[in-house]
Amino acid sequence: MAVRDNNKEPVNMKPEEQFNFFHDERVRSIFYQLLTVAVVGGFAWYLVSNTAHNLEIRGMNTGFGFLNVAAGFDSYFKLIPNEPGTGTYGRIFIIGALNTLYVSALAIIVSTLLGFFIGILRLSKNWLVSKVALTYVEIFRNTPLLIQVIFWYIGVFSLLPKVKNSIDLSGGAEVLILNNRGLYMAWPIPGDQLWMTSLTIVIAAIAIVFFRRWAKNRHDRTGKLFPTFIPSAALFILLPGTVYLITGMPLGWELPKLEGFNFVGGANLPPAFVALLVALSIYHASHMAETVRAGVLSVGKGQYDAARALGLKEKRVMSRVIIPQAMPAIVPPMISNWMSAVKNSSLAIAIGYPDLVTLFMGTSLNQAGYAVELVGMTMAFYMVISLIISWLLNIYNKRVQLVER
Amino acid sequence: MAIIKPTKRSTIAPPLSETSPVGWMKKHLFSSTLNTLLTFVTLFLIYITVKGLWVWGIADAVWVADSRRECFDISMDGACWAGVIAWLDSIFYGRYPRDELWRINLGILLLFVWMAPLWLPRVKAKIYIGLTTVFLYPFLSGYLFSGGDKGIFMQLMLTAAIVCLAGNTIHATIGVFTGHSLPEFLPRLFGIKDVQEKTLHNMFFTLIAVSFVAVFMWQMGWGVEKIPWTKWGGLFLTLVISGVGIASALPGGIILALGRRSKMPVVRVLSTSFIELFRSVPLITVLFMATTMFPLFLPEGFVLNKLVQVIIAVCLFNACYLAEVVRGGLQTIPKGQFEGAHTVGLGYWQTMSFIIMPQALKHMIPNIVGNFISLLKDTTLVSIIGLFDVLGMLRSISKDLPWLGLHREPLIFGAILFFLICFVMSKYSRHLEAKLSTEHKN
Repeated sequence: MAVRDNNKEPVNMKPEEQFNFFHDERVRSIFYQLLTVAVVGGFAWYLVSNTAHNLEIRGMNTGFGFLNVAAGFDSYFKLIPNEPGTGTYGRIFIIGALNTLYVSALAIIVSTLLGFFIGILRLSKNWLVSKVALTYVEIFRNTPLLIQVIFWYIGVFSLLPKVKNSIDLSGGAEVLILNNRGLYMAWPIPGDQLWMTSLTIVIAAIAIVFFRRWAKNRHDRTGKLFPTFIPSAALFILLPGTVYLITGMPLGWELPKLEGFNFVGGANLPPAFVALLVALSIYHASHMAETVRAGVLSVGKGQYDAARALGLKEKRVMSRVIIPQAMPAIVPPMISNWMSAVKNSSLAIAIGYPDLVTLFMGTSLNQAGYAVELVGMTMAFYMVISLIISWLLNIYNKRVQLVER
Repeated sequence: MAIIKPTKRSTIAPPLSETSPVGWMKKHLFSSTLNTLLTFVTLFLIYITVKGLWVWGIADAVWVADSRRECFDISMDGACWAGVIAWLDSIFYGRYPRDELWRINLGILLLFVWMAPLWLPRVKAKIYIGLTTVFLYPFLSGYLFSGGDKGIFMQLMLTAAIVCLAGNTIHATIGVFTGHSLPEFLPRLFGIKDVQEKTLHNMFFTLIAVSFVAVFMWQMGWGVEKIPWTKWGGLFLTLVISGVGIASALPGGIILALGRRSKMPVVRVLSTSFIELFRSVPLITVLFMATTMFPLFLPEGFVLNKLVQVIIAVCLFNACYLAEVVRGGLQTIPKGQFEGAHTVGLGYWQTMSFIIMPQALKHMIPNIVGNFISLLKDTTLVSIIGLFDVLGMLRSISKDLPWLGLHREPLIFGAILFFLICFVMSKYSRHLEAKLSTEHKN
């Protein structure tokens, strides 16, 4: 192979460039960019001036002052208190945003767990199990989410029995009660001494981290395995459990009680919430299952064979070889699936769950006008969420790239 | 050291455990105690589900009845499909006048005729057939569906579409039988040999021009009754919105994707922010934006109807998703292709349209189909803002007096309908993907 001297600059190889103003790449590039700015800017100006004119002739108010104005309505489901009548539009925005985040966070958790479970079933060596999982995935992926949401709401949760004939999912313990007004749950009431238990949970978690690190170091140093799962589990259950018992079980449960025509006490989730949660979880789980399956299959069969040839047990092949390599292929689509779960929670408007779109783009828009501001704020909210999620994804991608040579 | 035997050993049949059904079952269903247990549990679950669905949906179901009450009189626990059957026309065609349904059917039939040559093996110049489908078919079907008076532009486009459809069909027929294209076949028809390329072009364009004039004369006296967009509905409307959405989003998506990969920072930043803006918000917010803000954006007195607003919103939204599909396709093209084109002296647009896009588009087809599937499913959202698409129609069944409160059956029917369409398309796109990728792998 010829060895080239890279340090030596080729002398006089470059022909004298004739500077032609119209054929110079940089000049052209600047020209095209200016042209783009002019066209886009002109179009934007056209829209803005039209909008301003239209707002004026229709006598519509503008500005964000309305956020401090009392909204004449209230949301029937909210995570923060609101005075109907005096609660402002600003507060309605926060209530809607929290409701969106609440239902999508729960849907993300449930769909991820369910999706991993179905994905594993899909990879099962049992033909029947894998086909059943495939059927699940195909059915829910290929039907519109909106139909599923409406079906769960109108076709299932609204047709539940009335309050008097409620279904007790906990079998008589009255902990989990379902009727056409929603799902009623027992809700924990923390006692005075509960902070000690919470503290021990944190301590146990930290201890487990250090313990696992020590075990890994020992394994790296000596090659001897130290069982970690059972000791960590024991630590995590026994330590807080003992403290909880010693402090006298400082956690009460408030059970839902039938008073008059309705259940009182405990936590209540309205039917629209439960329907949306179930529909989102099932739909996104089907996407998650395919992601998990594709991720695991993306690890070459050779990796499995090699790990088995080295004498690793089936379980360790999974935990040490397949999963660490599959994760970089699973995580990015998983996170974008989470993102679309947040976006899809806006289908709440079809069944009247008071999420951000229902409260702000629906009710507020009808009542107050301020179309530009309301639409802008709602879209900005989703954009911020998406920015945060893609920022997290970037961090993850960078970490994975570092690990991979 | 390897021992190589020169003589060929006779092939041994695979062991019976691999080929017999019992062996297959043993391997795939009963390989261990846990597996056996799993199989039986699954079988039990399947039995319960299938039995429940069978009894409700078929065995105890009512197929013929005049009202929901009658359904209940016949069977209390079965599905009342009679309501869905009574509304079947509306589910497919909305409130389109029943005497004019042939226009919708003809429009859909023409689409198949137009696109069929794409699947025929011996037909040449498929790219033109594809392009004309995207750019000319919408005018033909658009006029068929909406009708009314034709403006001069519409007349020209309609004529072009009809000429093109006829040309495509003749071209495809010739292609199937002889393997030639239409311009190649023309001189043979007149028995001329050794024809020059220039004469060939002249002949071809004369033919086109003559037929254009003829068709133009004919269509001036032809017209169909106007049907306002408010009568459009059902699956037909869903297909129109998503069809226009995919066809017009494709050029937009290509431009946005090229902009995002551009070396010019201003163009890149603008395209990227436009794409990310629409990709980060839910479609329903874009639809609300369209219905509330488009009237403000436009000059005074200029009013768009709701259908146009929705279609524009869907196009903008989908163009941004398609832009990412196109970008993914562009990334599969090795850098050498760009460098090679540059070396040969091609400029940016020449490189893109003759070298890069033809290769990239091929890889994008499966993803474009996937995009179309999700667009089709997302189109159901237009029922929220008050258009009577297929979901809107399905939901109005429960408000129709005889069928008051009939919610489940229409929704399940809608789910099955979408499942069939989407499942077939996704299977096809996977088949395409496999076919295209094997071609690529040498």
